Amino acid sequence: MQLELQNITKMFGNVVALDGVSFTAAAPEFVCLLGPSGCGKTTLLRLIAGLSQPDSGRLLLGGEDLTRIPARNRGFGIVFQAYSLFPNMTVAANIGYGLKIRGAAPANIKKRVGELLDLIRLSHLADRYPYQLSGGQQQRVALARAVAVDPKLLLLDEPLSALDAKVRTELRGEIRELQKRLGILTIMVTHDQEEALMLADRIVCMQHGRIAQVGTPDELYTRPQNRFVADFMGVSNLLDQALVREWAAHLLGGVTPPDDHVACIRPEDIVIRPDLRGARVREVQFLGNLSRLQIEWGGGMLVVQETGRTTLTPGAEVGIHISAENCTWVSPQ
Amino acid sequence: MSSTAAPARREFDIDRIFLGLCLVVPLAALAIFFAYPLATVFLRSITQQDGNIGVANYIQILNAPSFWRATINSLVMSLATTIAALACGLVVAYAVHRCRVPGRALLIGAVSLPLLAPSLVQGLGLIFLLGRNGILTKATGLEINIYGFWGLLIANGLYALPQAVLIIGAALRAADARIYEAAEILGTSGFRQFIDITLPNIKFGLLSAGFIIFTVTITDFGNAATIGGDYAILATEIYNQVVGQMNFNLGAVVGILLLFPTVIAFYLERVASQRQFGSVSDSAVPLVPVFTPRRDVVMTVAAWLVALLPIVTVVIVVYGSFVWLWPYRFDLTLRHYAVKVAGGYDPLWTTVQISVIAGVIGTALLFTLGIAMQHLPRAAAKPIYFICLLPAAVPGLVLGLAYIFAFNNPILPVYVLYGTATLLAICNVTHYWTQGFLTTMTGLRQVPPTLEETASCLGASQPRLLRDVIVPYMAPTLVSVFFFMFMRSMVTLSAVIFLVTASVSVVSVSIMRLDEAGFTSQAAAYATCTMAIVVAASLLMRASLWLLKRKG
Repeated sequence: MQLELQNITKMFGNVVALDGVSFTAAAPEFVCLLGPSGCGKTTLLRLIAGLSQPDSGRLLLGGEDLTRIPARNRGFGIVFQAYSLFPNMTVAANIGYGLKIRGAAPANIKKRVGELLDLIRLSHLADRYPYQLSGGQQQRVALARAVAVDPKLLLLDEPLSALDAKVRTELRGEIRELQKRLGILTIMVTHDQEEALMLADRIVCMQHGRIAQVGTPDELYTRPQNRFVADFMGVSNLLDQALVREWAAHLLGGVTPPDDHVACIRPEDIVIRPDLRGARVREVQFLGNLSRLQIEWGGGMLVVQETGRTTLTPGAEVGIHISAENCTWVSPQ
Repeated sequence: MSSTAAPARREFDIDRIFLGLCLVVPLAALAIFFAYPLATVFLRSITQQDGNIGVANYIQILNAPSFWRATINSLVMSLATTIAALACGLVVAYAVHRCRVPGRALLIGAVSLPLLAPSLVQGLGLIFLLGRNGILTKATGLEINIYGFWGLLIANGLYALPQAVLIIGAALRAADARIYEAAEILGTSGFRQFIDITLPNIKFGLLSAGFIIFTVTITDFGNAATIGGDYAILATEIYNQVVGQMNFNLGAVVGILLLFPTVIAFYLERVASQRQFGSVSDSAVPLVPVFTPRRDVVMTVAAWLVALLPIVTVVIVVYGSFVWLWPYRFDLTLRHYAVKVAGGYDPLWTTVQISVIAGVIGTALLFTLGIAMQHLPRAAAKPIYFICLLPAAVPGLVLGLAYIFAFNNPILPVYVLYGTATLLAICNVTHYWTQGFLTTMTGLRQVPPTLEETASCLGASQPRLLRDVIVPYMAPTLVSVFFFMFMRSMVTLSAVIFLVTASVSVVSVSIMRLDEAGFTSQAAAYATCTMAIVVAASLLMRASLWLLKRKG
């Protein structure tokens, strides 16, 4: 089953929410729509779900045009941030609701609900009402409810954002496992790059209603195409060409990037050489398993990351080394 | 589970037809039962005696000294009632929400009593206390004339008090404790805090309550009919023109003129209410009053003094209905319950029937309209919202008069409704449309949109979504709207007084007739029966809400 978005545009009044968005995804992929708030990722998910209509562009699933089909006839599963369980139904009734609407036989519904309850390990809570469940449990029920109808597409709208850190990590693993087991094409909206890196087969990174870059988590992290993606996917040092030419000319050896491109170097790719000179440690932050250093170099500041505890203290004079293969030239926008 | 485009489109249309019906049926009802009758009032007001269209009726009314006396009386009475009820309402609301006083729930219950009784009960209670044969009149030997300004002022004040306490209470509840803590640390005295923080914070709530009281008072008929005596006001003026002199067109003129102050007061109320309740911060820390002896003792005494009035009036009406001969023989008897009024207790059962119909029709129309409005674009929903606010600005007597013009006309098809319990029920639904509408919309706004969206994605059609998701979620609101319509219909007088016939009549009219005929104790007996039913309904509502809440 392949989902294809062709040049989707959506306006809210005078504000462009989506500006010519196109991409394709196919089962059993897990795709994350990633970006800061207001980038259009939730709008895009709602368009895919059929909860709103694009102003122009087409939406195809398995070659069939979905644009005019209302949400209830698309046969998708959806999970929202706010759980959104039906408060008047038990856990089992919530999970079985989609099947009931489709007129499935009660015995079949019961069987399917039983399987899913086992899968999310909540069989003992089948007759409880949503308000008697914790946030994590509610979200697992919501997930089971969404997949109960064998959806052609599973849509997740920031499903982990309302949960506290520990439950979030737990459920993150469960979502990935469930998705792999069922092999459903899944599209998840998130603003958390760590979540996207961990869950996604492919990330669609969005900015101002447009796609900034599409790629695997590795591609987006190590080979960002523009300054926005470089910045959004973790911490990066962005150096303009004049500075590079003066202080680290070897990075320009063999490549001629366009004039406006800047060098993107990840903090963990910078090597500190205590035996050399030319740079000075200004600040040291201890982050548990990592140390993050602010180093004055080339008239600016570099962020450098070392594994474990560092022996360097502020004021220490050091040298730094950046290898050319760790340098990515990115466009300024 | 592969869905093809063809059936999808068909089912899509079912949703649209359903939502279309949800919109068209209530709007058609408003057009037939609100807009059309009001238009006839206007038409009749400009229909001259010679049958031509013109302003002669207006000139005749505006030249009549009696009209101006009634207008001045109405304005003076409404202003005086507004000031008195605001002051008393503030005392009770402040005591309940900002002080540590004993029996808070009882206080609220006491001032809410007038909502459970026909508006004539306040008047009856005062007559039992201070009338010519009042117990206090006899005890003190004083010649007090309770019929007139003062009696009407007290009765109107009591009638408006529940609304005042409700609105001012809501404004007082929306307080942020941190502001008061900051003032406390700055060394501000309790009194200064009240003047500098509390009053400015609730000023729009006070304004909103003030305009509501003004509207309720200027449009009230029941109190004026029982205890107004010779103090003529606009509402009684309409009644006298129509019933006394059979001068329908002049009644229509007074009705149209009465619309001016009510529409203005109602508009100002909406503006004030939005300023007060428009933006309530979620992050506010709730204020929990600390026991402050000097403040709390004074407030306890003051609040209970205010609350005593409605208790005494209601209790004395109930007691009076069981007493052999007020105020001479106090042995208990049931003889007043054998009422000597046309139809006996038939109107009581008719009223219950009307109230149930009003509850069902009202709840159904308001709910479906609300559903439809949620699916409309903002630009289309806004004018409908505005139209739904209008009925509250129309005095009951004007609406009742409008219904005679609109429906008591044998050549029109709507004539079949005239003289039926259904028409009285519909009249009540229209009369109380706005309050029911606002409650419904508040309830609908509380349904999380993602709940609907989830159900849609799971494949639920609009009717199914309504049944499985929205109705269960909204049940407490729907129960409240039903009982609101029921209870108001049980006790209302002004709108239905022109619509009753020999066979279809309501309790308020029977009570008024008994009182007019001098059978005050029988009127009290009738009123007691009515209150018993309304109290039972109120308990039933509480029980239903409790059950719904317990189910989760």
